[in-house]
Amino acid sequence: MRIITHTCPQCGTIVSANELESSRVMKCPGLSCESVLRFDDLSDEEQEFFVNHREQYRL
Amino acid sequence: MKGVLLSGGTGSRLRPITHTGPKQLVPVANKPVLEYAIEDLKEAGVTEIGVVLGHKGREEIQELLGDGSKYGVDITYIVQGNPLGLAHAAGCARDFVGDDDFVMYLGDNILKQGISELVESFQQGDYGAGIALQEVDNPTQFGIANVDDDGNVTELIEKPDDPPTNLALIGIYVFSNAVFDVIERLEPSWRGELEITDAIQTLLEDGNAINSHVVRGWWKDTGKPEDILEANRLVLEDKDLAREGRIDPGATVQGRVELHETATIEAGATVRGPVSIAENSVIESGTYVGPYTSIGPNSTLEGVHLENSVVIGDSTISTTGKIVDSLLGRGANVGRADELLPEGRRLVVGENSQLKL
Ligand SMILES: [Zn+2]
Repeated sequence: MRIITHTCPQCGTIVSANELESSRVMKCPGLSCESVLRFDDLSDEEQEFFVNHREQYRL
Repeated sequence: MKGVLLSGGTGSRLRPITHTGPKQLVPVANKPVLEYAIEDLKEAGVTEIGVVLGHKGREEIQELLGDGSKYGVDITYIVQGNPLGLAHAAGCARDFVGDDDFVMYLGDNILKQGISELVESFQQGDYGAGIALQEVDNPTQFGIANVDDDGNVTELIEKPDDPPTNLALIGIYVFSNAVFDVIERLEPSWRGELEITDAIQTLLEDGNAINSHVVRGWWKDTGKPEDILEANRLVLEDKDLAREGRIDPGATVQGRVELHETATIEAGATVRGPVSIAENSVIESGTYVGPYTSIGPNSTLEGVHLENSVVIGDSTISTTGKIVDSLLGRGANVGRADELLPEGRRLVVGENSQLKL
C-alpha cells in the first residue's frame, strides 16, 4: 500500500495523508508549531492517488 | 541507524487508566514506559528517533519527550492518525528514515537487556531485517518464528496450532531500507491493517536473509494492568534504588527503597522494599508499604497496607483495608468508611474500572 506523507516545513513533523485528508486544513500537530497544513499541500498526483484509494486508508 | 518508536494505539485494555492519557506514559517504577524505550535506543547508539503518534496522547507524549535533548537524542514526530497497522506506521516513517536502516520499537514494550545485541547482530551480516525473539511457554498465542542453526529465520507463523518452535516475536525489529518497497506492495489484512509480519514474510520470500536474536532477560508488553504490575516488579528487582529523602527516626525501612529527596517516611510507618516513592509523597504513621510497590508523586498514604501495587500519583490513600496487586490512576483517592453509617463501601468509579471488594 502506498503511504503518502507530508512534512511540516516549519517544524519537521511528518503527517500522513489520511490525517491531512480527514481534516483538509489543520493546525500542525507539532506541539508549539503555528503552521497550518492542508491536504492541498500534497502534490496533485498524490492527492489524486489518495482520493482514488481512499477506502484503504480508513479503518 | 535510525529509530522508529511506535506510540499510538488506543490502550483499550488499560482502561480506565488510558481514558486520560496514552498507555505509553503509564509509569513503571515511577518512569513512563516510553522513556525505557528511548534509553534502550540511545544505549544502542540510535540517537535519531522518529516517534509515531496515533490519535491519542499526541500532546502528552510531545510534552514529555520534547525534542529529545533531555535524553541526548533528536526526536522527530510522525503522525500516523488512523491505526492502519505496524507496517503502515513504519511506512509513515519513510521520509524520516531516508536511506538508513532503522530499529522499530513498540513503545509499550519493556525489556531487561536492551537492544544493543539485536542491533549488533543485524549489523554483522547483510540482512533484510532482524527480529527479536523470546522463548515462551504458550507459543500458540504468539507470532512464532522458525529459525535455522545460524539464527536465520526460515518461516513466520501467526498463532500456530502446531508451533515448530517456542520463539515468539516481541515488539522490536531492525529493518533494512528494503522494507519500504515491500510495504508499498502489501495489501491490508483481513482486519484492515498492514501487518509487519507480512512485511517480514515478503522480505523473506524476496530472498532477503532475516536475522534473529533471542532476548534472554525478561520482556513485557505492558498492555494490561497485570502487565504493568509485573513490569513494575521486574524493574524494581533490577534497578539501583537510592534513599535520598527523609526517613524519620521510628520509621522502619527494610530492603531496597528508592526515596525521592522530597519524599518522607514518617515515624511509625513501615516500608519493605523493593519500593519506589516519588517526589513530594509522604508515608505516614501506621502505613505499611510492601515489596514491589511504586508510589507516584504528590501522594499521601495514611495508615493503609499497600503492596505489589502502582500508585500513579496525586493520590491520598487512608483506607484501613489492605490494597494489593492494584493499579491506581492519577488523582484516585481511597478513603476509609470505618466510621460511616450505614456500613458499607462508598464508590465513585469511572468507566471501565475494575474492582474486587
Ligand atoms: Zn509544524
